[in-house]
Amino acid sequence: MKVVYNWLKDFVDVAASPQELASRLALSGTNIGGVENGAHGAVIEAEVSSNRPDCLGHHGIAREAAAIYKLPLKHVSPKPVEGQAKAGDAVKVEIQSPELCGRFTARVMRNVKIQPSPKWLKDRLEASGVASISNVVDVSNYVMLELGHPLHTFDYDKVRDHKIVVRRAKPGEKMRTLDGIERQLDSNICMISDGDGSRAVGIGGIMGGGETEISFSTKNVLIECAWFEPVAIRRAARFLKLHTEASTRFGRGADPEMAEIASRRAAELILQLAGGELLAGVVDIYPGKRAAKTMRVTRAEILRVMGAEVPDKEVEASLGALGFAPVRIDQNRGAEGSLLAAWECTQPSWRADVEREIDLIEEIARIYGLHKFPPRLPAARQGAARLPHYEAETRLRERLIGLGYREILTIPHVAEERDALFRPEGITPARLSNPLSEEANVLRSTGTVTMAAALEWNLNHGQRNARLFEIGRHYRLNGSESFETRVLTIGATGEAREKGLYDSARDFSLADLKGDLDSIGELCGGFRWADGGAEWLHAARRGAVRLNTIISSEARNLSSLGVAGQLARRVAERLKLRQDVFLAELEIDAFYDTVRIAKNPRRYEPLPRFPSVERDFSVLLADGTKFSDVTKTIQSLGIGEIHSIEATDLFRGKSVPAGKYSLLVRVTFQSREATLTEAQINDFSGRIVGALGKQLGAQLRAQ
Amino acid sequence: MLSPFKATGTDAMSSSDNKPERTLADLGVTQPDQVVSLFAEVRARFDSQASRPLDHPSWEILRQSWLGRKSGALTLITENWLKAASPDLKRSVGQELNKLKAHLETTLDERKLDAQSLADHSVSIRERVDLSLPGVIRPIGSHHLIRQVFQEIEDIFFSIGFSVVEGPEIETPYYNFEALNIPEFHPVRDDMDTFYLDLPKGAKTPLLLRTHTSPMQIRTMEKQKPPVRVIVPGKVYRRDNPDATHSFAFHQIEGLAVDTDITFCDFTGTIEYFVKQFFGPSVKTRFRPSYFPFTEPSVEFDVSCPFCGGTGTASGGGTCSKCKGAAWIELFGAGMVDPAVYGFVNYDAKKTSGFAFGIGIDRLAMLKYGIDDIQVFFQNDVRFLRQFP
Ligand SMILES: [Zn+2]
Repeated sequence: MKVVYNWLKDFVDVAASPQELASRLALSGTNIGGVENGAHGAVIEAEVSSNRPDCLGHHGIAREAAAIYKLPLKHVSPKPVEGQAKAGDAVKVEIQSPELCGRFTARVMRNVKIQPSPKWLKDRLEASGVASISNVVDVSNYVMLELGHPLHTFDYDKVRDHKIVVRRAKPGEKMRTLDGIERQLDSNICMISDGDGSRAVGIGGIMGGGETEISFSTKNVLIECAWFEPVAIRRAARFLKLHTEASTRFGRGADPEMAEIASRRAAELILQLAGGELLAGVVDIYPGKRAAKTMRVTRAEILRVMGAEVPDKEVEASLGALGFAPVRIDQNRGAEGSLLAAWECTQPSWRADVEREIDLIEEIARIYGLHKFPPRLPAARQGAARLPHYEAETRLRERLIGLGYREILTIPHVAEERDALFRPEGITPARLSNPLSEEANVLRSTGTVTMAAALEWNLNHGQRNARLFEIGRHYRLNGSESFETRVLTIGATGEAREKGLYDSARDFSLADLKGDLDSIGELCGGFRWADGGAEWLHAARRGAVRLNTIISSEARNLSSLGVAGQLARRVAERLKLRQDVFLAELEIDAFYDTVRIAKNPRRYEPLPRFPSVERDFSVLLADGTKFSDVTKTIQSLGIGEIHSIEATDLFRGKSVPAGKYSLLVRVTFQSREATLTEAQINDFSGRIVGALGKQLGAQLRAQ
Repeated sequence: MLSPFKATGTDAMSSSDNKPERTLADLGVTQPDQVVSLFAEVRARFDSQASRPLDHPSWEILRQSWLGRKSGALTLITENWLKAASPDLKRSVGQELNKLKAHLETTLDERKLDAQSLADHSVSIRERVDLSLPGVIRPIGSHHLIRQVFQEIEDIFFSIGFSVVEGPEIETPYYNFEALNIPEFHPVRDDMDTFYLDLPKGAKTPLLLRTHTSPMQIRTMEKQKPPVRVIVPGKVYRRDNPDATHSFAFHQIEGLAVDTDITFCDFTGTIEYFVKQFFGPSVKTRFRPSYFPFTEPSVEFDVSCPFCGGTGTASGGGTCSKCKGAAWIELFGAGMVDPAVYGFVNYDAKKTSGFAFGIGIDRLAMLKYGIDDIQVFFQNDVRFLRQFP
């Protein structure tokens, strides 16, 4: 709403500059978009909130200014000269749908001269951003901008039978509006029709039709000023996708009492600008008339909500200026500042938004000044809690960041076909019914789909080395129920170590990913790796990640956390990822629970007092024999002094025959009772070599 | 083998002086006082050798010749003087030997440090480290900037008694709108374009992507009686076409405090505390009346522009680009919880009061760190991520 400063002065004698007025308005609840000095003086851009339709006209803004500056507001009471003939004889109005149209007023003017508007009127409309058309049409716009109430003018002679019928739209009814568009209606839409009601001449409260439009040949004018039910108007405007100045004002709730005043104001201006004769009286059908509501506000409640006193005279001045006519009704009236003070107020017809005590308190507070309520920090009454997984997640982040991963955040909206590349079988994704584009029509059903996109972005922007993680959610449907699951997604590509002064470059490999995940797994008592993993992973370089510690029978189903591996080449190709990419996705809630639970039973293990001894075994193993076979075989000997079994070197080729590989196994022995003797170690070593040979066919290589 | 008593370079001595290779009897020592003066002689010889400037190799030679295990002077003295001593001399030889040994060790240790510092001073330029070269940098990751801002805000509110809770991003219209006093066709819904899920026919309720974190106000109050103090960090969604200032997914922190006696003054005090912690103590605040269906009174909350110090003028003159000369920056909406909301969660509106706020995190981060395009948060370019370690 553009507020023309000089226009405002028609109603309130403000001395403040436009800038100062704008900032005072802003601090009392009228949001200000800016102040501009144009050809017709200052214009304040008021961004009126949707609960304040009364401020969609200069008179309403003037009321605010009057309340702020404690100035009198000039009332609008137009008194146009009326002729002898009666309006009631010239036009008939019937409202068939009073639930949609609560009031309809009609005035008739004869022998007007349609011509261009005078300069002052054109200037004010121009300052308001409205184009001038002709005096009569301009007057209806002018009155709307002045009083906030929309009105409509008809060419009286084109209205059949000089009769208006207000009714619901009929099934299948269509109508061509003033903008030339034919519109399909529905039965909740209020129509203005003429004659026997069969012809629609306007959509009530939204837009008129072309057939009864004012033209330069119009001689007689019918002024419609009505009131329409706000919810019905909003519904209709949304259904028709037709939002107009009129639908905005009626949709937010216009002032039904203003309908007749605005009509009179329009007649007064038309007489002044277009001459002619105004027929006596008004046809006023008002089925929706309501008695004014009364409500109370008490000092006790002001104190309870606001936390500080407002003086009696400020309460009365602010409510009075806004039209609430406050009257003290308590026993102590006359006693200034009484804690028992209570006021009875009457709801003005233009403030349907104020109907409760709390609404009145807001009115008092905003006019009195919010800055007059002293800020204070309240004491807390209870301890505060972090999220249950806060500590586990913090430790997880610490590790990931220490391992060189950067956190990312992604938007879960993805293209369905991309989502499908990573989606496990049997999963229903959460599709949007109104996506912005086909590129973003489902919510990701896995974290990896957006992780892959983040890696793709980096590769496409020349960033070849990236190690990323995201803690977010994936979204799935089961029937019509939605499931959001917290997931950790990891993505890596390029070099694990870049070429530098001291190191050579080394590409990121599956071993890096596995090692990094196991460093995380340490927090929850370790991960177990199993063969398997998702279809979209490289068949030879993938695995399933499980919890090592099963914390409860309930969690047993959750012991499988997710998958990790190298992205399958065929998927990488589809995504145009031209270098090896490694991905992992873990459902992280079970991990968090286990981190929490694993922490408590942890106990100190005394450091050994005797030295440990290492022995290396270089063995030849058949391809397909796993390291875990080696450790199991050694452990099955039941030698309590074995402290650890590590793989320290692995190679194929050269002197190693085909179908075999060479593994260097380091076993560390440690006794808690005594220093191990050479004889003991030799005995252990002999048994280990024997078992490896017998059970795995391992040959001991010369060292 | 090296020996302090054998001919070595310029210290050549005649073999007749090589006393430790001979026995006491051989040397004609029969009385304890002779033992003392013999040891004094040895000690003087050592001192004269040790007092010369030593680098590390010459220190090593000195040490070997005196303390070397196989043929150092001390070993010879032990063998030839102590072990072969007559019983009446043994005691005094033993004492003198111990004294000598302690003296040698102490002096050699001291001289080793001297030798070391001599070495340090004389290393060549070639060997010296170039400190302008980088060290070995191990790659370290980083938190996303949005996460950092979340954490900072959570910590501030946590410190004044707010617990952290989370809620679903896929919501029902009831929690996202109706229970927040936003019935169907309410004008406010026009400002919150909403994504809906495509559900099978016969679904109990439509599902939507929450347009704000406010549904958690309702979910929290349904579960818990006052006092309530929570903040709710999370993602929210609005169906806006993306540009430099709009993303259809973004981040909010909701706050809610409800008790029997919370007033508007408590509300503004809490918000002011937060802002001064976040932007610094010199920032000024103001509250402008506003409108939200689920708060009353409602406010928009502004801070004095932290970039121009609330003057509207940039440091180099001209209009401040952050506040566009307004001196104030609109931060977020808030207000006292509307009593109508209490009706939806079975709280007694007559005895309950509280406040709620919703902070847009992306906007706050953009303001604080001078980011002019919201999309960079979601592109995750490592060159962006690196900037905020
Ligand atoms: Zn500024």
